[in-house]
Amino acid sequence: MRAFNAELSKLFSLPGIWLAFLIGVFAPAVVAALDSLAQKEEIIAGVSTRLSEVGYIGLGFGVQGVIILGVLAVSSEYLTESSESGGGQQITTSLTVVKSRFHFLLAKAGAVTVISILLCIVAMMTIVPTTHLILGEYAPAFEWTRLIGAVCYWTFTALLALGMTLLTKNGIIPLAVLMINSSVVSFSVLLSKITKLAFYLPDRAGLEMFMFTSDKFHTPSTGSFFDRFHTPFTGGLVMFAWVVVIFIVAAIVFHRRDAAS
Amino acid sequence: MLTINNLVKHRGNQEILSGISFKARPGRVTGFLGPNGAGKSSTLRILLGLDRATSGSALINGKPFTELHNPLTTVGAALDGFGAHRMRTGRAHLRWIARAAGLPQSRVEEVLEIVGLTNAAGKRVGSYSLGMGKRLGMAAALLGDPEILVLDEPVNGLDPQGIRWIRTFLRERAASGNTVLLSSHLMGELAETVDDVVIINHGKIVADGTLEEIIGNHSTLEEAFFDLTSEHAGDVV
Amino acid sequence: MRVSSCRKITQILRAELDKLVTLPWICLTIMGTFILNLFLAATFTSAGLQAAAGTQSMLNIGLASMRYLQAGFIILGILATCSEYTGGQIRTTLTTIPWRGFQLSMKYLALAVITLPAAFIIAASGILYTFIMMRDTAVGFEIDTIIEALVGATGYLTLTTLLSAAMGALFRRTTPALVVLLGYYFVVSPLTIDFLPKFRSYFPDTAGSYMYIPPSADEINVLTPIQATGVLMLWTLIFITAAIVFYRRRDA
Repeated sequence: MRAFNAELSKLFSLPGIWLAFLIGVFAPAVVAALDSLAQKEEIIAGVSTRLSEVGYIGLGFGVQGVIILGVLAVSSEYLTESSESGGGQQITTSLTVVKSRFHFLLAKAGAVTVISILLCIVAMMTIVPTTHLILGEYAPAFEWTRLIGAVCYWTFTALLALGMTLLTKNGIIPLAVLMINSSVVSFSVLLSKITKLAFYLPDRAGLEMFMFTSDKFHTPSTGSFFDRFHTPFTGGLVMFAWVVVIFIVAAIVFHRRDAAS
Repeated sequence: MLTINNLVKHRGNQEILSGISFKARPGRVTGFLGPNGAGKSSTLRILLGLDRATSGSALINGKPFTELHNPLTTVGAALDGFGAHRMRTGRAHLRWIARAAGLPQSRVEEVLEIVGLTNAAGKRVGSYSLGMGKRLGMAAALLGDPEILVLDEPVNGLDPQGIRWIRTFLRERAASGNTVLLSSHLMGELAETVDDVVIINHGKIVADGTLEEIIGNHSTLEEAFFDLTSEHAGDVV
Repeated sequence: MRVSSCRKITQILRAELDKLVTLPWICLTIMGTFILNLFLAATFTSAGLQAAAGTQSMLNIGLASMRYLQAGFIILGILATCSEYTGGQIRTTLTTIPWRGFQLSMKYLALAVITLPAAFIIAASGILYTFIMMRDTAVGFEIDTIIEALVGATGYLTLTTLLSAAMGALFRRTTPALVVLLGYYFVVSPLTIDFLPKFRSYFPDTAGSYMYIPPSADEINVLTPIQATGVLMLWTLIFITAAIVFYRRRDA
C-alpha cells in the first residue's frame, strides 16, 4: 500500500501527466460534440446508422490520454531530459525504496489502473451532458454495460502502454504505435483487410466492448473493419489476454535486467 | 581575463544574482566559493552565454562569449553534469566538438590521453561513472587548448588521484599564464589550489581577495567561509 | 552572427552531421521506418490484389503507406532536436557554437541532408515493391507520374521531418512534442475531414499530401504539387523561424 501511494505521488508530480489528463478529459467531450453536430441532421431524420455510437466515439479517442499516462509512468523512471541532470535515472532510487521489483511493478500498475478508471469516469461525465446538449431528446441512451466496457478498454490500454514501455525503456515506440493504432488510421484497420487475425489485436478486440453494436443489424457481414466480430465479453477477454501476456513478458525482462542498464 | 560587472539575474520574481562584480586574472587560479544555490552556476552560465543576464555584463577578454571568434580555443568550459548525450560514445562526443571548432581529430586522442579516458572512449556516455563524466567534461574543455578555463565543481565525484591530478594540472595552467576560474564548495581542496578567492552568498559577493586576505585572522579558509557566509546570511534574512 | 566564412559553415555543418550520425537512435529510426514501410507496402499490395484487381492504380497503392510512414520521419525530426536536451548536451553545444540561430539552422540543414536520401530510398522501395508484385495486374502507368510522385513524396517527408524538428526545438522534450505531432497528424487531422473541409487543404499534412498524390478523375486535388510544396514550405519555415526566435531568447 505504501508503494502504491508512492507511485501515485510520483505520477502526480510529473509535469507531463497534466497533458494526459487534459487529453483524457476534454478530447472525448470535444470529439463527441463534433461528431454529434455532424450527425445531428441524419439522426433527427432517423437515417443515421451510427446513432448508437455517437458519444462513444469520443471515448475511443480519449484513450490517447491514458496511453500517455501509461507510457510516462515508466519512461519517466528511465529518461530525464533536463539540462541539469547528469544522467540520473529515477529507477535506481525507485528500486531501492521498495521491497521487490514485483511489488514495484504491481504498485505502478495499480496506480495507473486507478487513475485510468477515474479519468474514464470523468470523461463520461463530460460526454453525456455534451451529447444531450447538442442532440436533445435524440441523444442516445448510455447503457451501463457499455460504459463499463469503455472503462475496461481505457484501463487495459493504459496497462498495455505501461507494459510496452517497460520493455522498450523508452516512450517513443509505445507512444507512436499506440497513438496511431487508436486513431482512425489504425494499423489494425489495415491488417483486417488481409487477415481475420487482425480482429484479435488488442485495440480491435477491446473496442468491441463498447463500439460496433449496431452494424450487425444493418449490414450483412462484409468482412469490413466495423463489423461486430466478438461479443463485448470475448472482446474484453481477448484484450485482457494481451495485457496479461505483455505484462508477464515485461515482468520477466524487468526482473532479469540490471536496474540502470 | 574574465570581467564580471554588476551582474543581475531575475528568474520569475526571484532575484538570483544581485549585482555581482569580480575579476579572474591571467596567471592565477580564482576560486568561486559559495553554498548550494548561492548563484555560482548561474554566474558561470551567464559568463558562457547559456543564460541571459537581466542587467550587467560578463566579459571574456573584453567581449561577451557569444561574440568570440573561436570560443573553443579561447575558453574551455566544464559545467556540472556530463554535457553529453547518453547514447553517444565518449570519443564520438569529443569528435563532433573538435569538428565544430575545426580542430584535427588527432587532438581528440590527445585530450583523452591527458584526462585518462583512452580506455573508456569507446563506451557510451550513459555507462560512465560520475568521475568519468567529469573527466569527459574536462577533455571537452581542453580540446581547444584554451587560455581561459571555466570549471564548475571540477573535483566533484573524482577519486583521490583525479583530485590530485586536477590540482597540479590547474596550477601548471596558471603558471604558464592562463586564466582559471573554478567554482567549488570543497574548502580544503580549494585552499590548496587557488590564488584568489571570491565568495558568493544569496546572489551577492561577500568577499573578494587573495587567499591570504580572505583567510586573514581565521585559522583556515573554511573558518573564514563560515564566518563570512553565516554573518551575511544574518543580514539578509 | 559574426561568422561568415565558408569554412565555419562547413565545419559546423559537419559537426551537426557527426552528431546525428553518431546517435544510434537516428540510425535505428531510419532502419525501422524502412522495414515498417516494406511491411506496410506488402500489406497494402496484398489488400490491393485481393480487392478487384486492376481497379486501383499501382502508384496509389505504393504511396498508401505514406500516411504511416510519416510517423517515422516525425520521430526522426523530434529526436534530432530533442537529443540536445539529454544529459545536458545543449551546454556543450552552446559553449562550442555560441551563435544560436546559426547553429540551429545548421542543424536543420544537416537533418535535411540525412533525411533527403533516406526519404527517397524509403518511398521508392515501397513503390518498387508494389510494382514488382503487381506487374501483371496493374493498369497503365507512366514513368513520368511515378517520378513526379516520388519527388513529391521525398519532399513531403523531408519537410515534415524539418517541421517536427522545429516542434521538437520549441518543446525541448520528446514526449510532449511527440504527443502533439502524432496527435495532430493521426487523430485531429483525420477528424477535420468532416468539420473543416475548406481550410483543411491548407494544413501542413493535407497540403503536403497533394505533393505526391497523383491527380485522379474522381477526386480533384485542391492544390497543384507546386502550390502544395509552397504551402508546406511556408508552414515549415514559420515553425523553424519560431523555433530559432525562441532558441535565441531562452536560457539554455
